[in-house]
Amino acid sequence: MADPGPATRHGARAIVGAFEAAGVSLVPSVPDTWIGWLMEDVRRSTKLRVVDVTREEEAVAIACGAALCGTRAAVVIQNAGLLNCGAIVGSLVQLYRIPCFFLISYRGDERDPTYYHVPKGRATEATLDAWDIRYACAGGPGRIAAQIAQGFTWTEEARAPFALLFGAEDLA
Amino acid sequence: MSVPRKAWLDALAADLGADALVVASLGANARYMPHLPIKAAHFALCDAMGAAIPLALGMALAKPERPVIALEGDGSLMMALGTLATVGAARPRNLTILLFENRHYESSGGQDLPRVEVDFVAVARASNVPIAERVDAASALSKALERARTAGPAFYLLPTAYDPSEAIPPYSERPDEIRLNFARRLSAR
Repeated sequence: MADPGPATRHGARAIVGAFEAAGVSLVPSVPDTWIGWLMEDVRRSTKLRVVDVTREEEAVAIACGAALCGTRAAVVIQNAGLLNCGAIVGSLVQLYRIPCFFLISYRGDERDPTYYHVPKGRATEATLDAWDIRYACAGGPGRIAAQIAQGFTWTEEARAPFALLFGAEDLA
Repeated sequence: MSVPRKAWLDALAADLGADALVVASLGANARYMPHLPIKAAHFALCDAMGAAIPLALGMALAKPERPVIALEGDGSLMMALGTLATVGAARPRNLTILLFENRHYESSGGQDLPRVEVDFVAVARASNVPIAERVDAASALSKALERARTAGPAFYLLPTAYDPSEAIPPYSERPDEIRLNFARRLSAR
């Protein structure tokens, strides 16, 4: 799916609004194409600070540091980056029971049958299950804001990580 | 010339105010942490190699009014060298990184790091960290920390003696205790 363009990215704007409504301050992120579209809107927010990182594990640690100080952060990464994060999820998020909210672009599922994304798509949900990360798939631009709010509530109540998987259609 | 780790930590403890936040990387720094006479909120990592600096960065961005100090080892930093670029891009003025360089994986038995002379100070400078220096004596640490408080982020390399016979205390706090003690000290200030 091509970029719907800034004027018609209703889902992306809903995500920004949901982050702001949830009191998120920091958005540590590694981009992919879809996240690049989303981040154009996130960077326009005066309430959200994007923290550009070099590896996804850093994004997780930054979010945990913020959470330990009472500040909400959203880790925005691709599922390739999620697959990098096994050690940090186990040895920081799960070990210390720190709330951590992930928004993950879900490449390689049936909606995105790009050959080089497919192996990641096949492994994503199985990996989340194996790492005991609660997750949901975004239900479109009309539902995603509520799902973000629920995700933050869940991760803090459970003191465990939560991941919301989104596709390009969820940004449109 | 390298300095015993405990001498660095004693100098740090003498300088730390109660408003500081400290993150210790896994191994010796984390194991010493509960035994230091400090009132600062501190968070010791038991396992997560390479996480001390980004964890401290998250704290520094969340609490810009408080000094945040990351204690990192050279082996851990090698595992996540890009994090210096992340710090250089974010440039939190309240973040200080102390790199304990002893060229060994001390927490896993003292194995050698890859046999290459990495100039970490040069890497930090090249990563846009405004203060990146080597500190050669524990007596000089206080002045370095003072400068970092007004012009950070700062990266200080601390040449540290590797002593296989050093009596490092065992881990004495569990993760839940570490998190709860950190929260208690954070809010006490």
